[in-house]
Amino acid sequence: MATTTAAVTLTSDLMSTNMSVSASTTCMKAGTTADGLDQMEYGYLDLPTGDEYDLIASTPTASKASKLYLKNHSTDETYYVAVTQNAQAIGKLYGGDWMFIPADFHDAAGDIAITANGGTNKICYALFHEGTVLVTT
Amino acid sequence: MATTTATITISSTDLLTDELALSTTATLTAAGNSTGLVGSGGLGRKRLASGHAQYVLFDGDAYANGAHKIYLKNTSTTAAEYFTIEINSEQMGKLYAGDWAFFPWEANADTNDIKIDPSADDMVLEYMILIDE
Repeated sequence: MATTTAAVTLTSDLMSTNMSVSASTTCMKAGTTADGLDQMEYGYLDLPTGDEYDLIASTPTASKASKLYLKNHSTDETYYVAVTQNAQAIGKLYGGDWMFIPADFHDAAGDIAITANGGTNKICYALFHEGTVLVTT
Repeated sequence: MATTTATITISSTDLLTDELALSTTATLTAAGNSTGLVGSGGLGRKRLASGHAQYVLFDGDAYANGAHKIYLKNTSTTAAEYFTIEINSEQMGKLYAGDWAFFPWEANADTNDIKIDPSADDMVLEYMILIDE
């Protein structure tokens, strides 16, 4: 069994007492503690402005426990990547921001789509999953 | 200016032939500038009692369009238990036992609510919003 852990730490001084929140999870297949996610897709690319693109070109198996990591590596604070799912806005990843979500890919319309704004954004992504439907040539 | 950071570390020694080690830290700022986020909903904890109906966790109507950040964690230890996360009516994914999520939230429309739907009774969700005011 592959063991992949994902940990987060949030710290802030915006309240009168400093805040620190931490969590860690082992990325497992859906509904089990016996088998970890054992497949991965990883990329680092330039995202030009002008069009919306599917982040994941293949079709991950629907309704599993896939995990998606996405970071905007742009250094210009005004640049951002708009992230949507099935045309529903999730949020904007500004330069330096990252996100980590469970991605359901519930059907053919459930793709995660990204659009660059401000200029060409550099992004890094990783998808941990249970399988994909590969695109035939 | 408040400084709020979010650090993620993803690691594995056996997913790939080589060791996987990814770590990055973001300093969370307001939309399009370098001013730190100044609002927080604090760390909350909610037990979904019975009936496991869908629940609006964050109402899009209550927040301005901005660079908000959302943290969620399913505290369950029962592997099959999950929270379904939806934005508006779009299903983002299922947060299984022990899993966490962190993502930007735009709140760009009154209908852009974040909703959670537990798969069983008495599940507990931890959550926090960092607000771009």
